[in-house]
Amino acid sequence: MVDHPIYWNPVIETLPRQKLRALQLKKFKRIFAWTYDHSRFHRALYDQAGVRPEDIRTFEDIRAVPKVEKSMMRDIQRKDPFPYGDALCVPLEEVTEFRQTSGTTGQPVYQPDTWQDWEWWAECWACILWAQGYRPSDRVFLPFGYNIFVAFWAGHYAAEKIGCEVVPGGVLDTKARILKMQELRATAMMATPTYVLGMADTARKMGIDPAALSIRRITCAGEPGAGIPSTKKRMQDAWGAKVFDHAGATEIGAWSFECAEQPFGMHVNEGMFLVEIEDIETGEIIEEPGRRGKMVITAFDRQAQPCVRFDSKDVIEWDSEPCRCGRTFRLIKGGVVGRADDITKVKGVLLAPSAIEEVVRSIEGLGDEYEVIVDKVGDSDRISLKVELLPEARGNRKAVEAALVDQLRLKTNLRYDLEFNDYGQLPRYEVKAKRFKDLRKDH
Amino acid sequence: MVDEAQFKKMAEMISSMRKTAEGLHGMADTFPAVKRNTARMLASLKMLEINVCDLNDPREQG
Repeated sequence: MVDHPIYWNPVIETLPRQKLRALQLKKFKRIFAWTYDHSRFHRALYDQAGVRPEDIRTFEDIRAVPKVEKSMMRDIQRKDPFPYGDALCVPLEEVTEFRQTSGTTGQPVYQPDTWQDWEWWAECWACILWAQGYRPSDRVFLPFGYNIFVAFWAGHYAAEKIGCEVVPGGVLDTKARILKMQELRATAMMATPTYVLGMADTARKMGIDPAALSIRRITCAGEPGAGIPSTKKRMQDAWGAKVFDHAGATEIGAWSFECAEQPFGMHVNEGMFLVEIEDIETGEIIEEPGRRGKMVITAFDRQAQPCVRFDSKDVIEWDSEPCRCGRTFRLIKGGVVGRADDITKVKGVLLAPSAIEEVVRSIEGLGDEYEVIVDKVGDSDRISLKVELLPEARGNRKAVEAALVDQLRLKTNLRYDLEFNDYGQLPRYEVKAKRFKDLRKDH
Repeated sequence: MVDEAQFKKMAEMISSMRKTAEGLHGMADTFPAVKRNTARMLASLKMLEINVCDLNDPREQG
């Protein structure tokens, strides 16, 4: 067995902080100058703010660069150079890849990439997969639809780059994918947490114990879950595999990863991205660990449609501790803990939907699926939670309910209208789930 | 682990490869097989530059 080094890039990943920051500043200046010179949209934004490339000398200067939000990208697209509009920084004939965002938060945003950008995507993911222990001896199964969304495309190419054998599982249905993984003794796979749990459920119904398959590592992306301890535990127990979190986005790139040490958090790939955390209320940049804020992010090397100080709305906080893995890339504690536009006040209490998932999936006797509905009764908020009682817990319902009420009060400080359903009654989601429904917005 | 001398040598070799690939790319306007394959090589070279050359050997910096 070949003894591979633990870091994809042993120099950058362990670079002393001061030198890493110097590299980041150099690379920010470079991408800012590129964007200023090549994007009519960004140049107009920067000229209006009175910021030019030569003004950037320190990290404090970077904060003067105006942020870009998703809504701004929507507004400028569907125009010439069609369909990308004024943020396109290369001739249209250099664009080799089209993807778009999922559209869950509004009209999709188009994302062009050159072949170099596409190599960059694979490079970012190669760092991730290597950190999660993927090696050339792995046979990686991709149970994913290979479609217009960027999810897992780069995972596929990165697995190839690393030297893994890649089995594309698109088109196959869930049962066929499970059988193929079993047939080929696949050792790793990538999927959303919803699909990881869904496949486990399907496998059990087929009489196959997913933990008895050869899968030993699973990379999750696309939605929260692998960073929520109880969801991660359910996936790991179901598959007998290590489950790793990753956060990325179509407009940003693959910016973070959980390493093989599973430190209850994710490293930011600080060689490829600059992450700033902004106080949600004051806009002040948060440097110290332990304070949550909204992520503003820059991708240093993406050229066709750059990502410069993009306001991602992801809520994160720095961890105070370095990771045992030895990387000097900072950790964000607990991963992405929510979205600034998901965190809402219910009965005057701030609520992150992920807190409910953590409670539901920490309670034995409850199924994986749940549904939360927030609505109004007169002028008062009401929050309802639907859960599924597992068949084996039917005789123990009172104890399960008591535990649920107790933990919900402790972790979310709210009382819920609870509805217990039989296992299988709640909706199942194929890939990405939408379990939190706030009907108050319709009022 | 890569030592400083090796790292510097890598950076030099990558720069040399870029010059060669760019030269070949520039000659190939009427030779699509060379044009497109060297375009891909240049994209891969950018990844090598990100991993090595961008550091500009910061270990020598104070």
